Amino acid sequence: MKIELRNITKRFGNVLANDDVSVTVEAGTIHGILGENGAGKSTLVKIISGFIGRDRGTIILDEKPGEIKTPAAAIRAGIGMLHQDPLDFPTLSVLDNFMIGREGGKDKTSSIVLPKKLATKELKYLASDFNFSLDVNEILGNLTVGERQQLEILRLLSLGVNTLIFDEPTTGISASQKDALFAAMRKLADSGKSLIFVSHKLEDVAVLCDRVTVMRQGKVVGEAEIPCPENRLVEMMFGRELASPNKPKTATAEVALQLHNIILKTDRLTIEIEKLTIQSGEVIGLAGLEGSGQRLLLLMCAGLLPATSGNLIINGQDMTNQTYQNYLKAGVGFLPADRLKEGLVNGLTIQDHVALRQSIGRRSFVNWKETLTVTKDKISLFNIRGKADSKVERLSGGNQQRTQLALLPIPLNLLLMEHPTRGLDIESAIWVWQQLIARCQTGTTILFTSSDLDEIVQYSDRILVFSGGNVSAPIDTKELTVNKLGQMIGGKFEDGGLGTGD
Amino acid sequence: MENNQLKIKDYSLRFGTLILTFLFITLIIFLAGASPKEVFVALWQGISSADQFARVLSTLAPLLLCACGLVFTFMAGLYNLGIEGQIIMGAIATTFALRIFQDIIPSYLAILLGIIFGIAGGALWGLFAGVLNVYGKVNEIFAGLGLNFVAQGLTLYLVFGPWKRPGVASMSGTEQFKETVWLPTIGNTEASPIALILAVLGLVVTAIVIRGTYFGLQLRAVGQNLRASYVLGIPAYSRILGAFAICGALGGIAGSLQVLAVFHRLIPNISSNLGFLALLIGMLVGNGILWILPVAFFFSALNVGSLQLPLSLQLESSLAGVIQGSLVLFVLLARAFNNIK
Amino acid sequence: MKLNNFKYFGWVAVLGLILTACNNPAPTNTQSGTQNTQTATPASSQPTDKFTVGLVLVGPKNDAGWSQAHYEAMQYVIKKQPNVALEYVDKVNPSDRPNVKGSQVADDLIAKGAKLVIFNSDDLKDDAFETAKKHPNIPVIHATGDYSWKEGKNFKNQQNLVNIMPQMEYGRMITGCAAALSTQTGKIGFLAPLINDETRRLVSAAYLGSKYCWENYRKKDIKDLNFKVTWIGFWFNIPGVTLDPTKVADDFYNSGYDVVMTGIDTPEAAVQGKKAAEAGKQVKFLHYTLKTGCDLAPDICLGVPIYNWGPLYLDTIRKAESGQIKPEFILGKPDWSNINNPDTSAVGFVFGKALTEENKKTLEQFIKSLGDGSINLYQGLLKFQDGTDFLKAGEKATPQQIWYMPQLIQGIEGKSK
Ligand SMILES: Nc1ncnc2c1ncn2[C@@H]1O[C@H](COP(=O)(O)OP(=O)(O)OP(=O)(O)O)[C@@H](O)[C@H]1O
Ligand SMILES: [Mg+2]
Repeated sequence: MKIELRNITKRFGNVLANDDVSVTVEAGTIHGILGENGAGKSTLVKIISGFIGRDRGTIILDEKPGEIKTPAAAIRAGIGMLHQDPLDFPTLSVLDNFMIGREGGKDKTSSIVLPKKLATKELKYLASDFNFSLDVNEILGNLTVGERQQLEILRLLSLGVNTLIFDEPTTGISASQKDALFAAMRKLADSGKSLIFVSHKLEDVAVLCDRVTVMRQGKVVGEAEIPCPENRLVEMMFGRELASPNKPKTATAEVALQLHNIILKTDRLTIEIEKLTIQSGEVIGLAGLEGSGQRLLLLMCAGLLPATSGNLIINGQDMTNQTYQNYLKAGVGFLPADRLKEGLVNGLTIQDHVALRQSIGRRSFVNWKETLTVTKDKISLFNIRGKADSKVERLSGGNQQRTQLALLPIPLNLLLMEHPTRGLDIESAIWVWQQLIARCQTGTTILFTSSDLDEIVQYSDRILVFSGGNVSAPIDTKELTVNKLGQMIGGKFEDGGLGTGD
Repeated sequence: MENNQLKIKDYSLRFGTLILTFLFITLIIFLAGASPKEVFVALWQGISSADQFARVLSTLAPLLLCACGLVFTFMAGLYNLGIEGQIIMGAIATTFALRIFQDIIPSYLAILLGIIFGIAGGALWGLFAGVLNVYGKVNEIFAGLGLNFVAQGLTLYLVFGPWKRPGVASMSGTEQFKETVWLPTIGNTEASPIALILAVLGLVVTAIVIRGTYFGLQLRAVGQNLRASYVLGIPAYSRILGAFAICGALGGIAGSLQVLAVFHRLIPNISSNLGFLALLIGMLVGNGILWILPVAFFFSALNVGSLQLPLSLQLESSLAGVIQGSLVLFVLLARAFNNIK
Repeated sequence: MKLNNFKYFGWVAVLGLILTACNNPAPTNTQSGTQNTQTATPASSQPTDKFTVGLVLVGPKNDAGWSQAHYEAMQYVIKKQPNVALEYVDKVNPSDRPNVKGSQVADDLIAKGAKLVIFNSDDLKDDAFETAKKHPNIPVIHATGDYSWKEGKNFKNQQNLVNIMPQMEYGRMITGCAAALSTQTGKIGFLAPLINDETRRLVSAAYLGSKYCWENYRKKDIKDLNFKVTWIGFWFNIPGVTLDPTKVADDFYNSGYDVVMTGIDTPEAAVQGKKAAEAGKQVKFLHYTLKTGCDLAPDICLGVPIYNWGPLYLDTIRKAESGQIKPEFILGKPDWSNINNPDTSAVGFVFGKALTEENKKTLEQFIKSLGDGSINLYQGLLKFQDGTDFLKAGEKATPQQIWYMPQLIQGIEGKSK
């Protein structure tokens, strides 16, 4: 289906999120939308898929004006969208989620009684068609982000959509899932469906898209056919060329973190680490498929998950079995991937968050004036597109991430991060790492996960590879090739792991 | 500018809702076979004499206190249906104190002790609900309802058992206290200035704590997202317990006032359902703490005025409850509608 | 957005809960709107010679019992004295009308023009007194109670307060006699509410009636009469607080008590009696205060003692109209020439179908003897349950001794306190 957007305008209060945006997506193509954080990409695609209303502008579907007021109407018109933050029901099974959203009587497969058998068959057929492996009876909450995404694609397809919109689908999924996703997208385009792909990642756009539209501050600032030189796109996005920083050596001789005979058990994984020592100022990247145990290690070091046995020593202080509060006092910071579930509080403003961070240890009255100044400083320092009284859920994904970073306590001895630049545009990602490196130079130790291997290789001093709960011995980044890293993620550890057993 | 626009929208929403509610209520009165005009006139007459207005004030005081207490639990994201039980426990504790002290220490001290006991009784009962919620993982609605039941049972037991009037156990409650330990009233009416002062003080303190202190901010954060608050370093569970205890304490004062200023004894239905009424107020005002005052006043007036319905129109006074209920329902619907949009 | 919507569903659910809790099922009178507008005249249209009486009823005015008797008494007054107008509020009790006190209702009634206020429950005695104090020019009638009894224990010198109480002890004696005449097993049960002066008085009176008729008409040894009272703890069943009257009634019928009389507000004695009779047991019951009480199970009903407040109210209201109210403690007497005369007798007895012709005659004879003074059951020698003397041999009881009985009479099985 050919989609024409004409003069779309959307205002939130005094933020002009979309300003007279016109884009044409041809049938059978993959159309990229690029842009910095807060450029208005999510807003635009939410308008197309009926999640928010527009102030002005028309949507034309196959030369006919389309009335899209609700997500259901969008689906009837053949348009489905995968959100940046997945909208599904984590306590229901895969099959239930697959069947949700069907309208009775639309086709023979749906009626008042849930056609479980038929749906199971359909889901299995679709999944094998796209090489997705999904267990229909698994509870959704146990799935990785990538699997949830696959399910959502199949669900939308089963509803008969012929246009699919992906809002930053590659953040938080593994490399193999990404490959499967891209293959599926290509296949869909080849079968005549149109796809819209919102992203920050130029290389993704380069391999996948037929055409891109670049947005900046709510406006369309350019269009390009792919292939097209990367630096031209970067220039369109940011108005200038960018250079990524080099990671200097930041590790010192002091020991920051020691793990002794750690065993971490959950119902899905067991992690064993006999001995691990990390220097102060070091950056350790945790590589591996999503759900291989990286998060457990981060949570444990943050004081949010007690180890089953073993000792954890931070800056010489035995922190085993200490309260989370004491971890905070010891200068441990945690930056979660799921921003609106673990990092930020819906309904509260940026200023509220700043005050909350100050509140630890204090009890009495908030000095709102002082917090306002502090907040404003942070907003300008971290270049957050938002105001002190903006509620966090109204910020764009990237700006939420900046807010999280701005909230990290100072001083910080140990920083644990999940996907620190998830959702950030290239410019911001570079900027964030500059900040982080600067912190390392003052002694902060960093452990981080990322689904982006380049990011891990670029910024880590040493790398731990996780595979199904097995942890490799730390590897010096200089001795590593991406090829070897790929093999290790697949489970081939040459010199054994950190576990006591092997 | 953003805020101004939002405010205008907010006010027009409130206003529109009010008009809709009014129309709806008119319809209901029609269906109940009465004349809306007569009903409104009767309600107005029900609060227009000095006596009646004083009654509005004397109901307002406990209502305000309960609504303030509920602000804390609402902020923490909790539906504290246990407020009724907390009022009752406050009343029982006050009665307990007065039974001991009214004859052996000066009246003003006995009253003071009565209120302090009331605070403690309510706070403990609130804390109890909190402990069930936090450590027992019992949903606070069910914990609250269960504890209400227990408190109600305890009252009945006391009124019919150990604290019964000499010779005559009766639904009318325990023996009246000496007049010296009644809270003084304005003239020959039932309004007690002390009760009002306590209530207004409660409101002011609530507003300050919620808006101006770290505690209030933390409560809001915990209410919106427990996990994120915890990760941000807020002692989330102790804040929840705190909210329960404070709510219970304020409910306890309300219970004290029911004993000291209104009934002058413990009666089986000492809470008079004011806790539930306060829950309605809490839902209606949402985050606008200062709206509690006018809304509570309105509800109190409606509550007192409704006595005129059986008196002059032979209508059930529960019609007032229907009016209050529909008001809340419409406001919630309007808010939900606004949110979906 | 998603989260918030869920939150509102939560709110709405909670709201539902609260609304049902708030409007707890008070027994409502669906006809009240149409039926009574003629009698409750709006204050504004009152001609000056109207004398408005305010009536504060503890229960629903159609409760088929206590409160209805008072409401009907006022209808009687209006018929006899047409310039009297009635303003009333019923269900004045903390569960039906939370946050409303009897004294407040009285204030409002007075504000609407009531020149005399009647309170109809012992539960409202503090309110009656408070009202009398607050409005010294308004006569207040408290049905039951003893605050205005100079010789009583609880006298309060309040010039505008009148207490009225029919002498139900006679009604109870008749009930007791009917039971003694009809029992085959010699076992009589009394399903009683809570223990206070009034109920001790009435249970004792019933026993005295039974005893007399057992010994004198049935010519049997008092040792062979088993008279047992079970107090449930309140006027009706409150689960978890009172005994369950259904169970108590069943226990009576199942353990050989073939006549059960009731003193509570609800009809368990009749209902369970009917079931027992249907199961082939030879049982009978006696109801209380409700004229039509026998209709619950006519074939096994021996009778009902009833209150008749009308003439008492009429008399007092007339006095009030002519400004002659004085603090008075009025004991309403039965009219012995015809205890069921609606204009003269304060206490009556409805004869039930299960009373045999012969027994009915005997009972009428008993009533006649009570009336002409040839029988005085409050005469010694009578002992209390603990063996101490209530009345010495030949001694006649004073009204105070009758009103304030500290214990049940010896011979009754059951608690005194
Ligand atoms: N519901 C809302 N209320 C107020 N402002 C909003 C709302 N949603 C988005 N905005 C604002 O609109 C602008 C565009 O946001 P949008 O989410 O479209 O950005 P984006 O291009 O998707 O950014 P990112 O790459 O960070 O996800 C931002 O400044 C954001 O703060
Ligand atoms: Mg976005």
